[in-house]
Parts: sequence; C-alpha cells; structure tokens
Amino acid sequence: MVTRINIGPVHPSTHGVLRMVADIDGDTVVNVEPHIGFLHRGVEKLVETRMYMQSPVYMEKLDYVAPLSYDEIYVAAVEKAMGVEVKERAMYVRTILLELQRIASHLLWLGTMANDVGQFFTMFMWCFKDRDLVLRLLEEASGARMFYVNMRIGGLIRDLPPGFDERTIEVLGYLEKRIKKYEDYLEKNPIFVDRFKGVGVVSREMAIELGLTGPVLRGSGVSYDVRKDNPYYIYDKLNFEPQKRSEGDCFARYRVRMLEMKESIRLVKEALRNIPEGDALGMQIRLILPSAKSKIVCVSRELPRGECLMYMVSDPQRPYRLSIRAPTFINLAALSSIVKGCRTADIFAILGSLDIVMGDVDR
Amino acid sequence: MKIDRALLLEKARELKSQGYSYLVKITAVDYESYLEVIYMLRNLSERKDETLEVDVDPADAWVPTLIEDFKAADWYEREMYEMFAIEIKGREMERLLLEKWNGKAAPLRKNFAWNEPYEKGD
Repeated sequence: MVTRINIGPVHPSTHGVLRMVADIDGDTVVNVEPHIGFLHRGVEKLVETRMYMQSPVYMEKLDYVAPLSYDEIYVAAVEKAMGVEVKERAMYVRTILLELQRIASHLLWLGTMANDVGQFFTMFMWCFKDRDLVLRLLEEASGARMFYVNMRIGGLIRDLPPGFDERTIEVLGYLEKRIKKYEDYLEKNPIFVDRFKGVGVVSREMAIELGLTGPVLRGSGVSYDVRKDNPYYIYDKLNFEPQKRSEGDCFARYRVRMLEMKESIRLVKEALRNIPEGDALGMQIRLILPSAKSKIVCVSRELPRGECLMYMVSDPQRPYRLSIRAPTFINLAALSSIVKGCRTADIFAILGSLDIVMGDVDR
Repeated sequence: MKIDRALLLEKARELKSQGYSYLVKITAVDYESYLEVIYMLRNLSERKDETLEVDVDPADAWVPTLIEDFKAADWYEREMYEMFAIEIKGREMERLLLEKWNGKAAPLRKNFAWNEPYEKGD
C-alpha cells in the first residue's frame, strides 16, 4: 500500500524551505515530488528595474553559501555587455577569491551533509570552524564576512591587503591537514560508508539526460567543467584538471567535492605564486554610471554547485532581461528520478549529496 | 539559430542525434511585439553549444514540449509557463511549480502590473 507523507517545508534536512511529498510503499520510495517556490523573490524581474551596479547585492542573496561566485558572474556579464576588459592582476585576485569561496562553500556542504547521514554535529562543528578561517580571508580582501559585493567593472573594489598571501598559505596548509582528517573520519566510518556507497546511483547517460551539472555530473563520469572546457580568467594558465568519478553514487559525489577542495587549494597556491604586480581596481560606481549597448550576452561560470549561465539582454542603463540558469534548480529537478526505488532514509542522503541551496533554486 | 515553431521538434531531434543531447537551459525573452523562446543544447563530447530560437506571438503563445527527448526540459518548461504564460503543448502539468503562486499573471512579461495587489494561490 502506498502511503503519502509530507516532508518540510521547514525541516532540518531540507537545507532551506523545501517541501517534499513522498509516496512510499513500506520503506521503498515510489515517488518524491519536490515543491519549491517558498523563497521565490523574483530576482530576474527585480534586476530589470535596477541600474547595472545596484544588482550585485541581489545576486549574492541567490546562493547565500557562495555569494562571491554569483557576484562575479553577474559583473562578468555586465563587463561583457559593456565591452570592458578585466585588468590582469584583477583576474588573478578574482580567481583566488573564487577558489577560496569554493572551499568555504564545500566545507559548509560537508558539515551539513554529514548531519544528514548520522554524523551528528562533529563534522558540522569542525567544518564551520574551518570555514570561518576562509571567510576571514575573504573578509580581509573585501571588508565583509558573508556578502562581499567587492566586484567592480574591470576589477575589484580594493586590492588584496598586505600580507594576504602569507596568511592564505598558512590557512591552506592547515586546511590540507584538516581535509585529510575529515576523509579519515568519514571514510573509515562504516555508518557513513553504508549510507553513501551504492546509494542514489546516476549513470552517465542518465546524468546527461537529466541535465545534471557540477560535481553531480562529474560524479557520474562526465568530466565537464567550465574552468577547463570554456576557461575564463587565468584557468587556462593554471595547471588544472577537473575531478571526476565514474561510480555515480552519493559517495562518488562526496569524493568529487573532497578532491575539488584539494584542487582549489592547489590552484590558490599556484595563483598566489604567479600573481603579477599592478592595479586591480575597477570602476568606482559612484563616479561613473555604467552604460552598455543593446546586445545579448551569455556568460558561463563554474560555481561551487555547478555551471551557472547568465543570459542577458542589455539596455543602456539596466538589463532588459536577465535569465539565470541556476545549477541547483536542475539538480533538484532530477531528485524524483534519482530516488525511485530507494529507502525512505536515503532521500536525505541523496538530497545532501546533491548540495542544494533554496535561494538558488527559487530565485 | 532562428527556426520556425513548427520545425522545432524536428530540429531538436536532429541535433540530439548529432550528439547534442545535453539541454543546458530553456528560457524566454519578451520583446513586446513578440516573445522569443531560447533552447540551449550542448554536445558534451565535442564541447559545442547550439542555440535554437523560436519567435512566438504573445497573443497565441505556445511551444511544443521537448520532454520526450530531453528529460531536463521538465522544470524549465513549467517555469517558463508560469513566468511567461507560454503554453506548453503535448504534456500535462497537474500543478504549478512554484508554491503559493496563483499562476494567473505572467510576471516576466513586460506588461506585468507589478505594483498591483497580489492574490495568494494554494
């Protein structure tokens, strides 16, 4: 007999306001229907009424776990519409900050995901403590702890502070040791491995058909990473390989994110070694009102949660239309296809491994 | 590339057989005199993108569904239906995607009255 149960919209394991209606037969999931829209703020409409540089604050609130990445992609779209080149030093600084943001975002995911699968609060506390070290670096660079808004057209609001590189290297060295410790803690833990290995398998074909993106796609053996395949800033100069696993289960997605964190640490170190001297400052928006020609621009970036794409029809003063391809939106859309036939408790393991942020899903 | 609405399904299937099997995004733009629906497809093995653009009349706004060939089209189409009131022919949508949205207006169309009172859906 099929029982229908309601989960959420306010539930500790749904990572925000997500409601799921699950049809279960005994303990086997027949269907899960995610209901979204509780956090819908109509950002795509809102930016049509604002001048170009008033919008980064809205963009940052989309993915509040990795705000800098959204800030950067929006500014990059405006730059492309205006035809402005980014200064060379600014490219390095942006890459460093973006990779630090990726580490911070993955650390938050690791902590909350471990909560979902029964590693109550040990990982959570560790990860939050370590994430704070990264946030402190970002705070040094931008002046704000969470919502930075430090991208400006052509560069940044300020250059890196003196001594930033030494402090970053120190934090990254510490994080390397910590990530090793996390791996030991989780992968030698039979409960965690049982909850994750072989659960929620997405085959390569299925991942492509469902349009999955980011670490979820790479966990299924497709090595598509915008940083490698459509490189921006200095990624083509860096020694970078996208991480992938072929198993396609929750454990593979977990491994991909762990490897990505290590890769990001390496990328930041390499970028810090090669960073050129010079000017990284962008336009001061108080003095210049940005204006662009009417054209269509399309910018694609690899965010911590997957590929984000901004399709902008620009007007002189404000975007005529901004369409955002949110990475978690499409990953969440695939949930009902992935969970079919799983156990009820696995819904949360799979949801945790998809790494959703409801602000990004609903927009 | 611009194509006619009647040829959309055929063209999408042809591209899929050429390896463009990854649907990146379906979106729409309201140019007031017409609506443009944009389909972005990707060939993952050759790393190539292809865009299909379909112009539809705002008074008779509908497009055929791609859900049989591209499963990823599901939520994009539902989102487009709610935000642009572009009807998706060939599939059933038993409920609205966004919760508490009444689904009566088309907020992303340019003629949307955004300062009028809003009636909550169920």
